[in-house]
Parts: sequence; structure tokens; C-alpha cells
Amino acid sequence: MSKPSMDRLSMNKQAAQHKQAFDEPLWWGLFSAGGVCFAVILPAVILFIAILLPLGLLPAEALSYERASALLFSVPGFLFVGAVVCLPLFHAAHRLRHGLFDISVGNDALNKKLMYGGAALLSVLALGLVIAGMLG
Amino acid sequence: MDKSSSQRLPPLKRNWWLKHRFFKLYMLREATVLPLVFFTLCLLAGMVALLQGAQSWQGWVAFMSSPIVLALNIVALAASLFHAATFFVLFPRVMPLRIAGRSLPDQAIVAGQWAGVVAVALLFFWLFGRA
Repeated sequence: MSKPSMDRLSMNKQAAQHKQAFDEPLWWGLFSAGGVCFAVILPAVILFIAILLPLGLLPAEALSYERASALLFSVPGFLFVGAVVCLPLFHAAHRLRHGLFDISVGNDALNKKLMYGGAALLSVLALGLVIAGMLG
Repeated sequence: MDKSSSQRLPPLKRNWWLKHRFFKLYMLREATVLPLVFFTLCLLAGMVALLQGAQSWQGWVAFMSSPIVLALNIVALAASLFHAATFFVLFPRVMPLRIAGRSLPDQAIVAGQWAGVVAVALLFFWLFGRA
């Protein structure tokens, strides 16, 4: 790549920091993994839990308090939360960060901390809830 | 003026993406995470309710059936499918698959991923579709 075009590319997000962004592959990796979960798993999750359940279209016992607790507060429940809550949260954080940059809102260094920090906090909360339920 | 600053492009206006259909679709895809975040927060509230007890859980199901929440979650379902449609076509471009020396056609990879969506939905039907 020629020097001028490198300079143009580097005027993007990382330029202001004047250092190599070693953490970016991690965010892109989480974005990608979360994107797969969002695309493959989330449609069914939203359909069953957020649409069919509240509409009363599932059998009464399908997600009763007892059954829902037993399913969520378990090792498979822990993995479910990782794939359905945590990874998609990092996917969303990444898109929001880049979306805010695209419409010139805020500054990227702060947005980055807020978005990934928020995703990390909510992820810890979600996984902590499952562990609390397993212990309780 | 130093060399690098003279080569910088002028900053874009905030509405640059409204000028072309391709960029509008790009922004729409970026925005699919907004209803996703809403659904995730609903789900987190549901997990808290489940931890609190049977009465809270019933309260959460009632909250989920309020018209605005239900409407936003229907938007979230549509957003997840739109995201899936845009995400699946990227796979063969990012990582073309070759089996026995022959490259797999793009449509086969995309169809395989949609089959994954259907498989997860069937798993949920098996879990929740019958009492």
C-alpha cells in the first residue's frame, strides 16, 4: 500500500491515539462471534421468549417459573446466556461505537470505553445471575 | 502545514449516509443492534425476576405482553433476520470453503447458515412447543 493511502486510512479511529491498537483484534473477534449468535440463535430466542410466551401461545408449563428456573440455572443455561446475552452485547457495543463514529457523535476514545465497558458489565451481571440461581 | 495534515480528507457531515441507498442500508444494518439491546435488557430483567421468585416471573411475563414491549420485540425479531441476511452473505467472502479441492458455491454456504437458524428454531420448538 502506498504511503499517501496509508495516511488516509490511519486518519480513522486509531490515529488520534498515536499508538498501535493491540486490542482491536479482540473487539473484532467478539463482534464476529456475537454476530453469528445474533444471526443464528437470536431469531428463535426472540420468537419463543419475547413473542410466543407473552402472547400465551406456548403450552402453559413450557416456561412456568419452575421449568424456566430449572433450564436457566444450570450449566447449559450458563452457556445459553454466554451465547445469547454476552457475545451479542459485545457485537452491539462494537456496532454502536462505530455507528457513533460514523455520525460524529462523541469522541471515539470515550465511546470505546463506554460501549465495551457497558457490554462487559452487563455480561458479568448476566452470568452472575445464573451462578446466583445455581447456588440459591 | 505538515505533510500528513495536508493529506487529510475533510471531515464528513453527519448526514453523509443519507445520500445513497447503499449507505442507508448500511446504517439500517448498524441500527439492528438497537432493538437487540432492548431485547437483551428485557431478557436480563427476566433473569432477575426469575431469581426473585414465581410472582416476579409472572409479573415479567405480563410486562413482556404489554403492547409497546411486544411491538419492540417484534421489531427485534425482524432486525435479527435482517442482520442474518446481511451477515450470512459475508461468510463465503471472508472465508471461502473448499471441499475435496472444489470450492463450495456461495449460495450453499448461505443456505447452510439459514439451515442453522431453522435448526435452532426446531430445537426451541422441541424444548417449548410441547408441555
